[in-house]
Amino acid sequence: MAYSELVKSFERIRSYMREFYVYGFKSREEYSIKSARSYDNERRRIESWIGDFMSFHQDTSGKNVFLSVDSRRIPHNPLHKAFKAKSFTDKDITLHFYVMDLLADGSALSSREIVDCINDDYLSHFSGAFSPDESTVRKKLKEYEALGLLSSEKCGREVLYRRTDDNTVDLNTWADALSFFSEEDPLGVIGSFLIDKLEKPSDSFRFKHHYMLHALDSDVLCDLLAAIDEKRAAELTVKSLRSGRDYQRTVCPLKIYVSTQSGRQYLLGYHYRGRHLSFFRLDAIKKVTIGNVEKHYSKYLGYQEKFDQHLWGVSTGPDHNLDHIEMTVHFDPGEEFVLHRLEREKRHGTVELLDSQTCRFSADVYDASEILPWLRTFIGRIVDLKCSSQYVLDMFQEDLARMDALYGGGNDVIQ
Amino acid sequence: MLFSEIYGSYFNVVAAVLSEASDGKLTDRRMTELVREKAFAESALAIPAALKSGTWPLLDQEYHSILHHKPTMPLTMLQKRWLKALLSDPRIALFDPDTTGLEDVDPLYAQDTFILFDQYADGDPYGDPAYIACFQTALKAIRKKRKLRIRFRGHTGARHSIECIPYRLEYSAKDDKFRLLATGKRRLNTINMARVRSCELLDAYDPKSITLPQENSEELVMLLHDERNGLERVLLHFSHFEKETQKLADRLYQIRLRYDKDDETELLIRVLSFGPVLEVIEPSAFVTLMRKRIAVQKQRFCQ
Repeated sequence: MAYSELVKSFERIRSYMREFYVYGFKSREEYSIKSARSYDNERRRIESWIGDFMSFHQDTSGKNVFLSVDSRRIPHNPLHKAFKAKSFTDKDITLHFYVMDLLADGSALSSREIVDCINDDYLSHFSGAFSPDESTVRKKLKEYEALGLLSSEKCGREVLYRRTDDNTVDLNTWADALSFFSEEDPLGVIGSFLIDKLEKPSDSFRFKHHYMLHALDSDVLCDLLAAIDEKRAAELTVKSLRSGRDYQRTVCPLKIYVSTQSGRQYLLGYHYRGRHLSFFRLDAIKKVTIGNVEKHYSKYLGYQEKFDQHLWGVSTGPDHNLDHIEMTVHFDPGEEFVLHRLEREKRHGTVELLDSQTCRFSADVYDASEILPWLRTFIGRIVDLKCSSQYVLDMFQEDLARMDALYGGGNDVIQ
Repeated sequence: MLFSEIYGSYFNVVAAVLSEASDGKLTDRRMTELVREKAFAESALAIPAALKSGTWPLLDQEYHSILHHKPTMPLTMLQKRWLKALLSDPRIALFDPDTTGLEDVDPLYAQDTFILFDQYADGDPYGDPAYIACFQTALKAIRKKRKLRIRFRGHTGARHSIECIPYRLEYSAKDDKFRLLATGKRRLNTINMARVRSCELLDAYDPKSITLPQENSEELVMLLHDERNGLERVLLHFSHFEKETQKLADRLYQIRLRYDKDDETELLIRVLSFGPVLEVIEPSAFVTLMRKRIAVQKQRFCQ
């Protein structure tokens, strides 16, 4: 099949874009799980869509392609472009413009009338152009009705279709909101579609700490939101991040946990077979099949609410038991921001002022090892660390010793 | 269905081409311009050819649209439901869009479906009328290219009043805060919107007369020792920076990333959070900061 910059399925391109954006050090040969031709085609497509953000470097392993962009410097997520590259047939695009045009004056027409108008009004300008049959047109009309572009009404034995734009939204009043939410909303790609309709998009915003990669999971997220909205079960096809193999899980999807600091998003769902709540990374979910309405939805949501009270991140630890942790921190005069940091960054637990320059954070969480990265951000200020998990304490001390070794010891730098 | 051709660049560009063709203004050159502007790098090979050849029978030989109207398309239900969901986001109060047309639409999701579990707790007060008024004035100034007088409290509590040229509002999801980026007499100003007490629109300025200040950027070079899934965690965590990664050896990588020198302390603690997985090798001043923190910590545990 001839190469096209458009794609039928999003899944493969999603995987390549992620590789180029996150890793970017792999050479063509290292993408061995797919064929070399497939690699060349996908790389060429991505280059066609967002070439301005692609770079290359050459080393002994070959030419490496990577996507690199400072999110603070651009108004719009370039990865959204991948969602605007769906392939279609010649009939699809032609019928789209014909149908929208025939119904643009507010009239309601049957599929038969639409076929007649297409032949008389449009195709008469061309010799040898295709002639759509009624079943093709009817299929397209039904598809557009499902998308909300058309509505239908029965008139005798016929079904009449009309456009749905009688009660229009004034998108111009949304320009700034679209510019903002197209980046900050988890389904911002829909905002990007709407921005494409504006004559003068807003350019007032920039975004710091902006994890643009989330956008690639929008299709999966959209299906999950539909299941959550309708309180339905869902079958997930998930790619194991360790083995790379696909597996299936049937869950009741409950919440989407979004990390603003790690760049990851998770589904929290009730896993029927395991009879417990489980997290799934959105970027590992390949397919969502929406199932039946869940009668016990409120009960599972209750589990989630209770569960959430002691979750630091997305780990329940090995046994669902709580770890108690306490960190005592010292700050010098003029460093009260340390206290403010603890207050605003702690997700659970309490902060207690012990004296004018010392405070203690304490919390009970399912997996205290998840707090380790945050604890390390206070390195240089921690005067005491206690945890019911000896593993966590050992890990902290061991890491500190290794960091000390990496930087060659450093007592000489203290003044 | 999110991944659909009706949202695609090809449909958009063909609509734009037909729109110009309806006005009788379409030329070969203009068609190519529109394709370059609205579609992809290689679209210029496909779209004009399909329109000219009649593969997509939408244009006649004289480049007139055969349609009766300029192409338009209603919003899809997905688009409307997404807009409706935004109306429950507290930040929508900053924008005040016209909600006509969404009255009978169900939101795509409820706001509490999403849990931003590591977002800082002291986000901006989106429900405060004074905050909303300042935000909207600042946004108007950016849009209308007007100068602004801002009165605000600095981080030490001192009062300031400056006349500035605002050029962007920057949002951080981690901090849940907006910052106003402005140029003043002295230099680039970054002002937390939550600290702003009042905003006053001043005269218009000529956008050509101002030069935006350059970011004071620096390059950080780190070695990544890949253990505990460190490679994926680190690269994803720092993915919003302009960066380049190279594999040096098995489980050893070098990362170069550019950062704003004003954010050095924040970057320092982010690097510290990865423990021995990351080893800073440049710049030397950054290495010294790391070394110092670690040494002080060692000493505290020895006391």
